[in-house]
Order: sequence, then structure tokens, then C-alpha cells
Amino acid sequence: MSVNYAELTPGQEISSRTVVLDAATVSRYVEAVEDSSAGPASEIGSGPTPPMAIAALTLRGVLTDLEIPGGTVHAGQELEFKGAVSVGETLACRATLAQNSVRGDWRFMVVRVQAKDSTGRVVMEGKSTIMVPA
Amino acid sequence: MATGAAELGMREGETLPTVEKLITQERIQSYAEASGDYNPVHVDATFAASSQFGRTIAHGMLVAASISEMMTMAFDEDWRSAGRLKLRFRAPVYPGDSIIASGEIERIVERDGARQVSISVVVRKQTGEEAITGEAVVTLQLASSG
Repeated sequence: MSVNYAELTPGQEISSRTVVLDAATVSRYVEAVEDSSAGPASEIGSGPTPPMAIAALTLRGVLTDLEIPGGTVHAGQELEFKGAVSVGETLACRATLAQNSVRGDWRFMVVRVQAKDSTGRVVMEGKSTIMVPA
Repeated sequence: MATGAAELGMREGETLPTVEKLITQERIQSYAEASGDYNPVHVDATFAASSQFGRTIAHGMLVAASISEMMTMAFDEDWRSAGRLKLRFRAPVYPGDSIIASGEIERIVERDGARQVSISVVVRKQTGEEAITGEAVVTLQLASSG
């Protein structure tokens, strides 16, 4: 079923997913961005997960559940990293719509995201601003 | 406990060690696979050619990762547990572009046993054009005295 963006209202939950930060998933991310601060991608074990990996994997659920169409532009991103997360952790990721408006040829949507670890601790919060072809 | 960066005596106006990357279509494809973001503007040359960009572009978050890498190298655990980013994606980064992430300490405020460091961050392309601008804030817990 395709998403009717005009019907989405602020406060509405868009996505609720579980993300497992297994070594393979984190390695794939580290290798893609060549994050030297994480050490070699081939040696990702049980150390800390790069914060942006948490953000990227949380946003993956938004992309999927919101059925973001081709041509969508990522205009801005706010993130707050609230706790180090080890590789191997399981995150509960949730996204809600904050704003939804149309200006000209674009629909502007602001999506709030949050990730909690297995203890319920909030480890990341953020806000994504995207422009979807109207 | 203060991090190594805090113990170095940071000052307003100082710059962080930069991070440089070369963006290639291969890397964009790898990021699409890692992130699940297969927006055709990133991975489909035919689609991208008809877009406002004229060709494929890198994911904003791929480019932004260089900022977080820079902050992690400077502040380590403090960045992971008490870091904030506010970014605007201003210009597309194309395959073949090289980027450099840099940051300058704008403000340091000490309060309640912690040091909050505000840093203006920017990612520039080899042309000098700003691809991403914004602010990063990291809170460092200072060692208690006595």
C-alpha cells in the first residue's frame, strides 16, 4: 500500500522497528563511510558503534516505512547522541512525523527519530528534514 | 573524567584535525547497501540524469559521516555519549568529488562540572563549495578536584 503523504499528521508514528547492531551490519557501515575512528571494518567486534551508524540504521526504517520516493532530498539533520552503544546491541527505533507542508513543487516533512537500547535508555534522538516531490 | 582533548586545553578559535574523503560511485553504492537508502538519485544514473542534479549524488548522511568521524577522533567517548549535531545539506556532492570536514571551536562554557564545547563544522568540496554546514556541540565531563 503506498503512503498518502497528504494524510500524514504531526504526531503520527511513522515507523517502529528493531535494529540489531551486529558486527556485520556495523562493519558494512564503517566500510562504506571509511570511518577511521572505528578501526578497521574487518575488526569490528564488541566495541563502540559509530554514532552516525546508529543514526543511519534508525533512518533506514523511516525510508522503508515512509516509502520515500525517488528524488527525495535530505535537506537537514539534527542528532543528539546520548549514550555509547556497543556492537551487538539491539535498538528499538521509532519515528514520528513532526511537520508536513507543501511549498511549490515540494512537500517538506520533518521526522523525529529516537533509538533506545535494550535497557530502555535513549541513546539517540534526532530530527530529519526531507523534501519530497509534491 | 576529562578526555584527552579536554586535558589538552582547548581554546576558542582552535581548529580540529580535518577529515578528507574521496567520494566515488562505488562508495555511494556501498552506503546505499549499508543504510538501505536506494533513492535512485544516488544509485541510478538514468534517473539521476533527469533530476535537478543531472547525475548521481552522494547521500547527505554519507558526507555527514565525515563530521562525526572528525568529532570522534577529537573527543572519543564524550562525542558518542554527549554529542549533538545540527546540519544543513547545502550542495550536492558528486562521484569524483573530494570532501574535507573541518571544525572550529566557537565557544567553551564550563558549568556544573562539565565543559560544553560548541564547534562550527563544515564540509567543503575540492572546489571550496560548502556541501554541509552546521554546528556540533560536545559536553565533556571534567575530573572532579580534591
